[in-house]
Amino acid sequence: MSSIMRGNLRMAVSGVRGAKWRSLLTMLGVIIGIVSVVTVVGIGEGMKRQIGQQINHLGKDLITIRPGKEASVLDKTKANRDIVFGMQSAGALSTKDWQVVSETSQVKLAVPLGAVSGEVTFEDVQLRSGLVLATSSAMPEVLNHDVAYGEFWQPDEEDTNFVVIGHKVAEQLFDEEAPLGKSLTLRGEKFIVRGVLSPFNALPVSPTANFDSVVFVPVKTEARLTENSLQFYVLLAKPQNAGLDQTVAAIRERLTKAHAGEQDFTVLSPKDDIVASSEILDLLTTWIMAVAVISLLIGGVGIMNIMLVSVSERMHEIGVRKAVGATGRQILGQFIFEAMVLGLIGGLIGIIASLVVSGLLYAYTDFDPVISWEAIAIATVVSLMIGIVFGALPAIQAARKDPIEALRHE
Amino acid sequence: MPAPIIELQDVSKLYGFGDATTIALDEINLQINEGEFVAVMGPSGCGKSTLMNIIGLLDRPTHGFYTLQSKQVARLRPNQRAKIRRDTVGFVFQSFNLLPRLTVLENVGLPLAYKGMLSGKRVKVASNMLERVGLSDREYYYPRHLSGGQAQCAAIARALVNNPKIIIADEPTGNLDSASSRLVMELLSDIHKTGSTILFVTHNPELTRYATRVVYMHDGSIIHDEQTKLGEVANTALRVMYTLPTRTEEDDLAGVSALMKAVPSKDATRPEKKPKEKKKTKPKSRSKSKPTKRPTRSKT
Repeated sequence: MSSIMRGNLRMAVSGVRGAKWRSLLTMLGVIIGIVSVVTVVGIGEGMKRQIGQQINHLGKDLITIRPGKEASVLDKTKANRDIVFGMQSAGALSTKDWQVVSETSQVKLAVPLGAVSGEVTFEDVQLRSGLVLATSSAMPEVLNHDVAYGEFWQPDEEDTNFVVIGHKVAEQLFDEEAPLGKSLTLRGEKFIVRGVLSPFNALPVSPTANFDSVVFVPVKTEARLTENSLQFYVLLAKPQNAGLDQTVAAIRERLTKAHAGEQDFTVLSPKDDIVASSEILDLLTTWIMAVAVISLLIGGVGIMNIMLVSVSERMHEIGVRKAVGATGRQILGQFIFEAMVLGLIGGLIGIIASLVVSGLLYAYTDFDPVISWEAIAIATVVSLMIGIVFGALPAIQAARKDPIEALRHE
Repeated sequence: MPAPIIELQDVSKLYGFGDATTIALDEINLQINEGEFVAVMGPSGCGKSTLMNIIGLLDRPTHGFYTLQSKQVARLRPNQRAKIRRDTVGFVFQSFNLLPRLTVLENVGLPLAYKGMLSGKRVKVASNMLERVGLSDREYYYPRHLSGGQAQCAAIARALVNNPKIIIADEPTGNLDSASSRLVMELLSDIHKTGSTILFVTHNPELTRYATRVVYMHDGSIIHDEQTKLGEVANTALRVMYTLPTRTEEDDLAGVSALMKAVPSKDATRPEKKPKEKKKTKPKSRSKSKPTKRPTRSKT
């Protein structure tokens, strides 16, 4: 049996090679389907991994308090993910809110994050794609993050003109020079660089705000600069020993009281964040999967079509094979095998293409797709199955053909 | 006397329905013993090929019984028939029917592959068979690189490779020139000497000299059946042939060149003893036998 298989393999491959264009066009549907499935799954995996890293990195007990009411999944997620734009539409939290949260007995530490407008320059160099955030000295501890060089400002230095910068800011503004002790200009005032943060390997709080290119400014200094109109877009809190849920409930209660019974804020534990993220991710994945399945179906129909053509083109050959003693099952095997090879080659091209696409996504976008061996294995099996399923009908047709009728075809 | 290897009983083959029914075979009764070398002659459309296809289990009769090696085979299932074709029958076709995408060696090995023989052994057996037909230097050629005679020899090697009891050749020389025809017939003759039963269809009376028995068919019936000596053209071959209606395509099938047809017609009933001479005189004997057809054609 195996020897026939090997012969069939060679026949099938030479058949595919003999009609390159036809085969390629036939496989296109399968290729597109596999590319979309593998890439989407890869992006999904990558996002999940990012979120996982984020949680692990920031600690499983980081509580976020955001302005605005808790909304539907989609809105909530948008608000969750977009610290800069989402929050602006949703309102803001005040210094007083920060105080309330900090003074909640279950909370160990709380830091605010408030975006500040204004350009940052060093000598003549202007900071592009950077972000200025006002925060307090407890920030490194709350985010569970280290300072690579220098140090963060101390609690008693909240009103000084110190800044701590992300490592990309350091690269961009100071190039090779050591940034510590250099002074930046922001809103007409000079700020001395006190420290450089080590690279964030996960994006905390929001994937669109890259903390590596953030200039952190002490919150009181910022309040002075903006004449006390400073507003926070997010408060981060670490619970005391008390449980996470309890702390969340306590914060919610106290803030509600402070807001005179109005719940115009949202308190989230990391769990909520994951739930929201994975909900949107699942929704997205389902949709693209549906598109991919349709594409794979079309690809399968393409294979079926070309196999039907192939069977009728080679009717005479089928007749000859039957005349020398091929059974129906052997003919069936030959044609199913050929369809399988078509599907498999399409699948492999699709896998290679999706690796390329993922590479491009990684290089040029914020996506970080992870293509696992399982995804590749499943894609391979799926493309094989498509060949088998859609090659079956033409193959059965070939196998059932009466030998003498088949021989009469020229 | 042992049971005949092939026995047909009232075998009929009908095509079409109702008014359009064509009778390809009309209650044929035929027994062929092991070791016979049977030539089947007759005009186009007389049912020769249908008979060959039924005997070779490619086709099935509409009515009647077919006993092959003492087994009823007319009503077997397709897969069982395929296995009998593979193991018991070797087919040689007029148009060779080698698969163009396989090498000569692979073509010859095809029946072995369907038997499940492993590729290494297959190559060996197929290679031996090619040596037997004198094509050992063409193993890795593709069929398109072979001459007609070589292709037919390769096809015969393929037919022989499973050591079938029966070889069925449907106009094996129909597409060949006279030299290649002789090559192919000599090859079949050699095979016959090893004990195989051979049936072949021909339009060329010349070739009956290889046969031990000649069966004449007309309109789906066997009209004459005679034993002949090896090496002699059958007595009735010429006479019976030329009283039958013939058509122009048939002349072509018989491999008659247009030139020979152009020769002025002679007396149709002139006795033909010439072919008895030797093969060397073949062109001559043909040129004489051929024109005799013309008057008969005008008769129809």
